Amino acid sequence: MTTTHDEHHHGPEKGLMRWIKTTNHKDIGSLYMWFAFTMLLIGGAFAMGIRAELLQPGLQLMEPQFFNQLTTMHGLIMVFGAIMPAFVGLGNWLIPMMVGAPDMALPRMNNWSFWILPFAGGILLSTFFMEGGAPAFGWTFYAPLSTTFAPDSTDFFIFAVHLLGFSSIMGAINIIATVLNMRAPEMKLMDMPLFVWTWLITSFLLIGAMPVLAGAVTMMLTDRNFGTAFFDATGGGDPVMFQHIFWFFGHPEVYIMILPAFGVVSHIIPTFARKPLFGYSSMVYATASIAFLSYIVWAHHMFLTGMPVAGELYFMYATMLIAVPTGVKVFNWVSTMWRGSMTFEAPMLWAISFVFLFTIGGFSGLMLGIAPADIQYHDTYFVVAHFHYVLVTGALWSIIAATFYWLPKWTGKMYNEKLAKVHFWWAVISVNVLFFPQHFLGLAGMPRRIPDYSLQFADFNFISSIGGFAFGASFILLTYIVIDCIRNGKPASARPWEGAKGLEWTLEPKAQYHSFNTPPSRKLIEAESQNS
Amino acid sequence: MIEVLIIVVIIAILIALGFGLMGLLKGGSQGSDKMFKSLVTRVALSVALFIFVIFSGYMGWIQPNAVVFDAPTIQAPIQK
Amino acid sequence: MSKEQAYYVPHGTYWPIIGSIGIATLFVGFANQMHGVEWGGSVMALGFAITVFMMFGWLGQVVNESVSGIYNSQVDRSFRWGMSWFIFSEVMFFAAFFGALFYARQLSVPWLGGADNNIYTPELWNGFKTGWDAIAFTTPGATLQSGVEMSVPTQLVNTWGLPALNTLLLLLSGVTLTFAHHALRAGHRHQIIGWLVATIALGSAFLGFQIMEYGHAYHDGLKLTSGIYGSTFYMLTGFHGFHVTVGVIMLTVILYRIQKGHFTADNHFGFEGVAWYWHFVDVVWLGLFIFVYWL
Repeated sequence: MTTTHDEHHHGPEKGLMRWIKTTNHKDIGSLYMWFAFTMLLIGGAFAMGIRAELLQPGLQLMEPQFFNQLTTMHGLIMVFGAIMPAFVGLGNWLIPMMVGAPDMALPRMNNWSFWILPFAGGILLSTFFMEGGAPAFGWTFYAPLSTTFAPDSTDFFIFAVHLLGFSSIMGAINIIATVLNMRAPEMKLMDMPLFVWTWLITSFLLIGAMPVLAGAVTMMLTDRNFGTAFFDATGGGDPVMFQHIFWFFGHPEVYIMILPAFGVVSHIIPTFARKPLFGYSSMVYATASIAFLSYIVWAHHMFLTGMPVAGELYFMYATMLIAVPTGVKVFNWVSTMWRGSMTFEAPMLWAISFVFLFTIGGFSGLMLGIAPADIQYHDTYFVVAHFHYVLVTGALWSIIAATFYWLPKWTGKMYNEKLAKVHFWWAVISVNVLFFPQHFLGLAGMPRRIPDYSLQFADFNFISSIGGFAFGASFILLTYIVIDCIRNGKPASARPWEGAKGLEWTLEPKAQYHSFNTPPSRKLIEAESQNS
Repeated sequence: MIEVLIIVVIIAILIALGFGLMGLLKGGSQGSDKMFKSLVTRVALSVALFIFVIFSGYMGWIQPNAVVFDAPTIQAPIQK
Repeated sequence: MSKEQAYYVPHGTYWPIIGSIGIATLFVGFANQMHGVEWGGSVMALGFAITVFMMFGWLGQVVNESVSGIYNSQVDRSFRWGMSWFIFSEVMFFAAFFGALFYARQLSVPWLGGADNNIYTPELWNGFKTGWDAIAFTTPGATLQSGVEMSVPTQLVNTWGLPALNTLLLLLSGVTLTFAHHALRAGHRHQIIGWLVATIALGSAFLGFQIMEYGHAYHDGLKLTSGIYGSTFYMLTGFHGFHVTVGVIMLTVILYRIQKGHFTADNHFGFEGVAWYWHFVDVVWLGLFIFVYWL
């Protein structure tokens, strides 16, 4: 034991215990990012398995049951293990620096939010080694597939979801308290950078939605083990009720995964266009409207469950409404670039391709939101293409963009720009080869979550799989670039991007372990505000 | 009618409770006052609602739940 | 080095990792217990013990730090934000179960019975009747999808009996707590203790009667396995009872802290947080009483 506590020690502790005991937002942010990256690689490996099986028609590599386990776990790991923790990690690293605070508001709880995750992830992954295999009912775990016809390991999955929910709720509470209470006294709400705004609104979504998910899995648990009948029509329950409860969580959840991405892009585009963000306040209001609307549109995932026509109409029109604030955002980004003095460093390339590809995903979402058309698209590869365009080229794209953009601030070093550009073009081409043909597959009627398919789908599946392998391989290069930056990167300046604004760039090149022990002045905040 | 009234009062109670939460958030003597006052409101409303519900039940305006739905006697036409 | 810092940032802590280990052990044990694994129960108990140990250690540390005066008003506000939004997440958790109740009562059960021109019910099962309570539509010996035989109650819980009494008790506890709150704000320390003891007693009495009611209901055959009525009834009242238990424990801790002389008329966040929690639990019960037993 080397713990002789200095009352006001300012550096990190030594050894492994530093990471277990840490209450420092930067340490915890790094932990989150590495955890998310590990999970991304694991989930990506599952995706490689899926694409390998789908390379050709017929069953080549695996049993259909195992294929279903892979699709299920791929979805769960990517949503709950990779994207969400990565955004919480970004939030942890950046929000205190952006609002001029020394740390998160509740640092001990912050540690707990992270340290629940490895346990939850471990329990979730361990289901592969149990009798009957991992859950195989898709990431949406609809009853009765997940209640009556599921393997025993489902109960472990349920508890893993409970733990992930605790973690997310605590993380969200912490971010709300940090933004609203730890913000520099001189910083008004409308001075806050957009990443902070989007995360604040996302936190409210998390607190509203995650407990509902906990309720849904609790009902599953009792239906499976204690003889309740929530989702069982024999006892007066209703399997469709599961879908209502699940999607009441699930729809806000998709905005939980995209709002912080909007924030990230709203930082990067003004920087490299060397212009202030166009329409700062409209961005804030658009984010808030999207968040509000996300709570009242959930049943557009359920147009084929036989709900009353009035319900279908309502949910269709409400869904269409979301396109308005989202359109505001896209036009604002484009207007920010308009006549800007643009340069195309790696973060900017990722951000621009985000705007382009996310818009494709948004439009295919609009198509799916039209109830009569959805009868054709429902549960086809069109849906798969849609949500991969918004989650991979949307959420994941912004995470990679943010990593390149803030990596100099995290490590004090520059990454290899040439390699990063090679990586970008590799990834952006392969991801389109991977997902774009899936639109055609879906429109032609290929259902999702199947290991085998009719011969007429063979060509597009082959192309898609080749793109998939290439895209998967691009992450080897990404890993190399990040590690190379940490190990051998050239020293970066405090503000490595010419047009960058924000309090974080006023810190040392590698942000010190404790930053902003005294709050920044009004003058500094105004100079660094996006809203000026 | 009685049901609507009861639900309106419940919503009022929830609002009072929500104001209490806002007082709790605010803190300080102002927040403390706000919280205390709204909690007093919510207790008074709750007691009143309880008495009203019991009274309505006693008068037979509302019944404890146990509703049976009959299958419709007129069958909708089905194309054979 | 003893320069006063503008912000308070705590040092490293072991409690979270202990909590994670405890709660993961609890869940792994519970899952194994449900699958009939021999060691499941004991692992679950171990996990529970670790979790309780963590709660006492962690919260105890926070109380000690608070009493020793190293927290400033900013930390106080952070706790307020944390507690408030935590309770809001609880509200949403209950909302999921209330949502299930409303959906089943207003939509899915009537649909089963042929409401809204559901032409299939009379076509497929002519004369089929359904109703909200399980007596109305369950045939004895019916089996759920999970393979469990449904339990058909001989009668439902009598709204006029224990439920009404319990509502009265819990509402009274809200009143006594308000008196305690008033006494604390006015600085009458003796009165606080009296009113707090009354609140705790009323809460405990509520829990006792709730257990009695469960006993009666089980005796009459109203069980978790009594279809959607039994499911919603037990899950809603059960989770509520759990929250009352937590509330009673928290009130007891507050009582202990008041006897030790903690809190002042101006600064008593611990009390306020617990008081609001209790009022929340109270309102949830009122909602339960009205929606489960009456409307």
